[in-house]
Amino acid sequence: MMKRAAPFLACIGLLLVWQLASLALKNDSFPTALEAIRAIPTILGDKDSLINFAASLRRMAIGFGVAVALSIPLGLLMGRSRAVASFFNPLLMVIYPVPKAALMPIIMLWLGIGDLAKTLVIFLGVSLPVIYHSFAGARAVEEKMLWSGAAMGLSAAQRMIRIVLPAALPEILTGCRTGLVLALITMITSEMIARQSGAGNILFNALDMGQYDTVFAMIIIVGAMGIGLDALFERMRARLVRWSEPQFDIPLSFS
Amino acid sequence: MTGLPSRSEARLGPVTAQKPAAAMIEIDHVSHVFQTSARQDHLALSDISLTVADGAFVSILGPSGCGKSTLLYIVGGFVQPTQGMAKMKGKAIRGPGPDRGPVFQEFALFPWKTVLGNVMYGPRQQGVKYADAETQSRALLEMVGLKGFENFYPKELSGGMKQRVALARTLAYHPEVLLMDEPFGALDAHTRTRLQNDLLNIWERDRKTVLFVTHSVEEAVFLSDKVVMMTRAPGRIRQIVDIDLPRPRRRTELLLDPRYQEYVVEIERMFDDGDESELRP
Amino acid sequence: MNTRAIASDLLLGVIPIALLVAVWQALVSFGYAPVTLLPPPGQVFLRMVQQLLNTTYQQEIAATLFRLFAGFSIAVILGVTVGLAAAVNPAINAVVRPIVRVLAPLPKVALYPALLLLVGFGHQSKILLVTFDALFPILLSTYYGASTVEQKLIWSAMAAGTPRREILFKVVLPAAAPSILTGCRIGLVISCIVVFLAEMITSTDGLGHVLVTAARTFQAVDMFVPLITISLLGLILNGLLELLRSYLLRGFPEV
Repeated sequence: MMKRAAPFLACIGLLLVWQLASLALKNDSFPTALEAIRAIPTILGDKDSLINFAASLRRMAIGFGVAVALSIPLGLLMGRSRAVASFFNPLLMVIYPVPKAALMPIIMLWLGIGDLAKTLVIFLGVSLPVIYHSFAGARAVEEKMLWSGAAMGLSAAQRMIRIVLPAALPEILTGCRTGLVLALITMITSEMIARQSGAGNILFNALDMGQYDTVFAMIIIVGAMGIGLDALFERMRARLVRWSEPQFDIPLSFS
Repeated sequence: MTGLPSRSEARLGPVTAQKPAAAMIEIDHVSHVFQTSARQDHLALSDISLTVADGAFVSILGPSGCGKSTLLYIVGGFVQPTQGMAKMKGKAIRGPGPDRGPVFQEFALFPWKTVLGNVMYGPRQQGVKYADAETQSRALLEMVGLKGFENFYPKELSGGMKQRVALARTLAYHPEVLLMDEPFGALDAHTRTRLQNDLLNIWERDRKTVLFVTHSVEEAVFLSDKVVMMTRAPGRIRQIVDIDLPRPRRRTELLLDPRYQEYVVEIERMFDDGDESELRP
Repeated sequence: MNTRAIASDLLLGVIPIALLVAVWQALVSFGYAPVTLLPPPGQVFLRMVQQLLNTTYQQEIAATLFRLFAGFSIAVILGVTVGLAAAVNPAINAVVRPIVRVLAPLPKVALYPALLLLVGFGHQSKILLVTFDALFPILLSTYYGASTVEQKLIWSAMAAGTPRREILFKVVLPAAAPSILTGCRIGLVISCIVVFLAEMITSTDGLGHVLVTAARTFQAVDMFVPLITISLLGLILNGLLELLRSYLLRGFPEV
């Protein structure tokens, strides 16, 4: 029981540290945890804020969804076909180190400010880890499994869907989890850079207007979103791949 | 037939050696229980009592899972028995130490150190000066046949060579007791026989006390003065067999020696009978 | 590795970049993109050389690099220390685990406004953000590496006379080195990205700031230059880390 309560205790502990620190520092721009928490209902109740939030989530959902839908097949194809891999690999390796949110201004130059630019950036940010993990997962599928499938009369496409996809699923889902984390980060960052709508926008507006309670309240909200989404995803992932052995690729957190 | 104990003559429990040598290792009513991952209790060892004389080469022989490695780890001080006690020279064993040096089946060499670095580890730990440690270690490496490989990394060596380094590394800190846990199990047959010969040659020099865990009857008979036969889990001592074959033992001579053959056959037969009696309701 | 292998690897690595540049040039030459939005590669390249020789630009690079190094170094020291401690000490483990589980999925960039309020708009806020973002991969990799050290290595060292308190430094740390360095590599990439983004959001200097300034004045060429610069920096730093890694891990078998 202690183990399950531990994360909650940690949250409370961190909030406590915050409360004590802000009381000790007595800085006007550092509100206490309680003040920040009290500001949360105001934000959630405000219509404008909710519109902003909805916009953020919508962009994230579309960007993530389209990215996943396109990246998984591409990654799987790359994993099983050397030709496809050699074609796309170099391109991806060049794009990888570039921070996608940093492309915002350039993309904004081309597509204007607005949903499309931000969604595109989220799409780019999510695609790469999902492609890479799908690629790695597909590559690791044992040849012998596919030979068995071929012997059973499955066509190449059927083998891909019915053998490669399930076998690579644990790895793919790890990629999706990374992608989800990146989607949230890219969303916030792009909104902080191209201020027009969204949660990041609310944050910086509050900062500009000196509403420090709101700033910190937003941080709690965004933080909760991140933790909540990750926890939900983990649950779904664990259920989908109950049969697989624990993954230790790049540990995203203690599982 | 001289020296071969019949089944009725074989003794259970503590054994006294022919000459009054000091008891180096005493195992006193040791039992050990593991908790498995399924949260169940697994009785690995059950009431083991055994005395090992100074300078004796003793094999612990048994099928997989009979707890023989666990017994070795208890003597090594890596595992504390849930019941009973192991003693060395009369003092209780509470932890690992340079008086009992292990050699593991997996070699367990430090991958970040060279061959020489591995062997020098023990002496340096003891406070030996670098130059002296280096000289000693080089001599040891030459003795185990690895002259010229001092600056290699373990990953560049074959299995047999790695085990030689492991042996040299343990010998480097001069333990009084050698604890060998199926050291040749991961090697191919050819390398295994070579290393068995080399081990005996090295052992002959200062006749340390050796506890040697194996599941090979031939290996046990070839190498040891005494073979401690263990049952399947929960591990108990089934029989202790004195091996009365002359030393130094040469493989080519021994393989043709009928007494060697009889020991092997007898022990295997004892195992088979024991298995049957276990299977019989 | 023989020279032929290295040469062919380099050649293979150059091809994608060359391809990309070729495609870029083609887009401009064939009129698919107006010059104001997508300047030709030649122009960008010339501008880049110009900037690199310019002392003001060099100072911007220095500012970015300083923050990057500072943040990354702190993350390494903190991450390795806490990761090791949590791996060997159950009490520390019990405290660290839940805290990491809560903080890891949180988009750290959301903390940026808080940092700005607490430590001001100068170097510190960016350094701290880099530290927070790079910390977790390093910590988790260290923890994973340290907790999966082969038991028999520790036993061998203990039998050789190593006292318990020295096992951490003499066995656990070197044995965990491969894992730690993998975490550091991820941390370095994250550091490059985060410092650039933080500078884009609010800063008075640094490469990110250069990009945002150029965006405000619609200078497309000047937008590409810092982006390419940070990518190059990332590649160089990564390469240096790789060299360090191969040296430190020269005894370890390839994974």
